[in-house]
Amino acid sequence: MNILIGTVLLFALAALTWHKLATPSSRRAALSGAANLAAFTLPRLFTAMIGAALLAELMPADQIRALFGAGAGLTALLLATLLGPVTPGGAFVSFALAAAALKLGATPAAALTYVTSWSLFSLTKLLAYELPFMGGRTMALRLAISLPIPLIVGAVASLF
Amino acid sequence: MSSAPHTSTDSPPPRRKIIDGGFIVLLAVTLLAAALVTAKYGAAHALATALGALGFIAVLLPKVGAGLFVAAAIPLLLPREKVSALIGQESGWRGLLLASAAGALLPGGPGMTFPLAAALFAAGADIGATLAFVTGWSLLSLNRTLIWELSFLDWHLVALRIALCLPAPLAVGLAARALTLRRRRAGP
Repeated sequence: MNILIGTVLLFALAALTWHKLATPSSRRAALSGAANLAAFTLPRLFTAMIGAALLAELMPADQIRALFGAGAGLTALLLATLLGPVTPGGAFVSFALAAAALKLGATPAAALTYVTSWSLFSLTKLLAYELPFMGGRTMALRLAISLPIPLIVGAVASLF
Repeated sequence: MSSAPHTSTDSPPPRRKIIDGGFIVLLAVTLLAAALVTAKYGAAHALATALGALGFIAVLLPKVGAGLFVAAAIPLLLPREKVSALIGQESGWRGLLLASAAGALLPGGPGMTFPLAAALFAAGADIGATLAFVTGWSLLSLNRTLIWELSFLDWHLVALRIALCLPAPLAVGLAARALTLRRRRAGP
């Protein structure tokens, strides 16, 4: 159901984009850009999706429950924050692992902390893109300010 | 990585290398996971898991295709120079809000977002707006939520995360302004 809603919304967005592009030449440019992007993204997508599914199989259910289940408290949120940056390979991996951990008994608060920490501090993004483009000082400033965000998100989410 | 090539209106996008360090790491992790699952549950189970993932991708592909098209078209519709000039001219709350919204709404991976953030800075945006843009993209990227997040997580969980993260880009921008101001006042 979620996937269907997302698909419909994105197709509407794509149709609007197509309409806005207006000229045949810009539409061609967008299509060839999309093809280049697909050539880059799809191999990663296939590899990462299969990897995420296999990693989910390896998750030890009892340990997930012990570390991230109800009653794990602040330790769970700190651990979830630490796991965010070291997750390899793109958004789908972090979401897939969060979904698998939820199925095995992790709390929603721990899952949201992990996803938020990945979004802000993924090492792949930091080292490959942020450091070269933004420089060390700007990156350090952003990291220092953003550090509490995953914990705050998790703490507030655990109230719900 | 769902990263878009860094594009601009006056130069053709450089061809990204399909196979790079990040992809090799991803491949190594996947192969290691496959080996471990095979050792633990047998090859049949590993294969069934991989095939299940492929089936899931097949369901997602239409959405991914539409998302890729929108991401590729945005630089044509909204040239980087235009976006960065607009945000660079605005200061105060307006600049922060505009930068946060641009970060959330502009599709594209880190290969598109960080060059744009650097361009914003060069176009005269202050550190607060620049970090609000990066944080808005990190936490609230609409494209990522529509393609990936909603494929894996329940919508009410996604809604809760977004509601909680909504003020974050503004807070980060304000904090960055406060910190750099203090440093400027303190230091000669």
